Amino acid sequence: MSYLGQLLRARELLTNLTQREIRGKYKRTALGQLWSLANPLAAILIYTFVFSFVFQIESPVGDPSGLENYALFLVCGLLPWLFFSRVLGQGVEVIVNNSGLIQKVYFPRIVLPISLTSAIFFSWMFEMAVLVVALLFLQAFGLIPFVPLVLVFMVLLAIFASGLAMISSIINVYFRDLFYLVSIALQFWFYLTPILYPPSLVETQSAKLGGLAGTNIELIDLYRLNPMESFVAIFRNLLYDNRLPDLGSVLTAIVWAAIAAVAGFWLFAKKEKQLAELL
Amino acid sequence: MTELAVEVRDVWKKFRLYHERNQSLKSAIMRQRTSRHEDFWALQGVSLEVAKGTTHGLIGKNGSGKSTLLKCLAKIYWPTSGEIFYRGTMASLLEVGSGFHLELSGRENIYLNGSILGMSRKAIDRKFDEIVDFSGIERFLDQPVKNYSSGMYVRLGFSIAIHVEPDILVVDEVLSVGDAEFQTKSIKKFAEFKEQGRTIIVVSHAMALMDELCDQISWIDSGRVVSTGGSSETIKQYLGAQS
Repeated sequence: MSYLGQLLRARELLTNLTQREIRGKYKRTALGQLWSLANPLAAILIYTFVFSFVFQIESPVGDPSGLENYALFLVCGLLPWLFFSRVLGQGVEVIVNNSGLIQKVYFPRIVLPISLTSAIFFSWMFEMAVLVVALLFLQAFGLIPFVPLVLVFMVLLAIFASGLAMISSIINVYFRDLFYLVSIALQFWFYLTPILYPPSLVETQSAKLGGLAGTNIELIDLYRLNPMESFVAIFRNLLYDNRLPDLGSVLTAIVWAAIAAVAGFWLFAKKEKQLAELL
Repeated sequence: MTELAVEVRDVWKKFRLYHERNQSLKSAIMRQRTSRHEDFWALQGVSLEVAKGTTHGLIGKNGSGKSTLLKCLAKIYWPTSGEIFYRGTMASLLEVGSGFHLELSGRENIYLNGSILGMSRKAIDRKFDEIVDFSGIERFLDQPVKNYSSGMYVRLGFSIAIHVEPDILVVDEVLSVGDAEFQTKSIKKFAEFKEQGRTIIVVSHAMALMDELCDQISWIDSGRVVSTGGSSETIKQYLGAQS
């Protein structure tokens, strides 16, 4: 595990690169870090207008929190998703975009996707803090004991997302098409994850269809293969319902995060020596 | 027996020359293969020994493989076969200011660039004044680097790199940076380096400078070491072969 040792020795570099991302991003803007709230806010307004007002989708009721508010239901799933999609969407390019650095200086290359994830994580923490304050303002005090757990699962999602970013950033060196494929895949992925709607709607449709093509497999079983389904369920349970997430979702999330992180790490350990000449 | 700082043992480096490089999915599918290439051996069995506390130069024509060797020494490329041994820490200076963030100030970039080059925060704190002093940009320390003149940019980058103080420093054609005064300062700094028992490996086309700076020079041609010896003799040999 000498590569892990190298990574540990490079943690100051990791901190500095993360700071570079954060500080460099909103330089010379009047609102600065507040801009990171603008995108989620715009999305919440648009989706709430379309789905809650126009389509009149029923707001799921939080159990036991008793919350009944589409915008909050949405945002509890939307913020984790936006974090995930930013990490993957920007992560796929992280090696190619830093080719100048890679070709001139030696350092463990894996710090690039990790520092990108950390910088985006920082913005996400900011967004989540605003959400928690908003929820408390609406008197969802049942949330308070779950705040530490929210943080734990945020880290777990970050591990999953950075693992995928590592894998895709390396593949993107070989196939530059991947960047475009990822942006399209993320659109499908967004609608195939229960963010705008409760998963119960899919369950109903799935039960109507029954076993697919004469097998026991139902639509919902395929639907649940999506790791983000588990992550979104966990964050909703904690934030919107104010209860412990179910064990199945937690285990699925842990397994996916572990697979992504190990695969990403392994790929970097194997490929990083060749990156400079491949770029 | 002198103590060796760097030992290069029979290093070969292969590059693939692509006739068609299919980095997109479409071409990979259409042509049913990912690439067509031939192998090019940029280094063909290079062996070198660099004694501790000496300055070793690499000279040769463009495309002779000296830059590839330097990049192997800097751990940017990895030899296809053969090995390189280091005794002590190594830092490289192949391009000044790589990794600068243009929107950040000189001060922030000193920390960022220092850590990219392998310095700890404490070491940077300790060296900070020296770095600023050496680069001569005190007045502009809190300005974003993008407003720097190219000379200031290069001086800051060079100054950070030289203050990493590794046991072994690998330097590409960067001695020609800055004005005459800065060059003199840089050469003095290299001399100081040597006195401290540090080892420098340097590539340059400026023969007069190389003669002054180096103890030993290796002449590289077509991926092989043609000769290694005292700087003046090797340069004479090399120049003799050119005419």
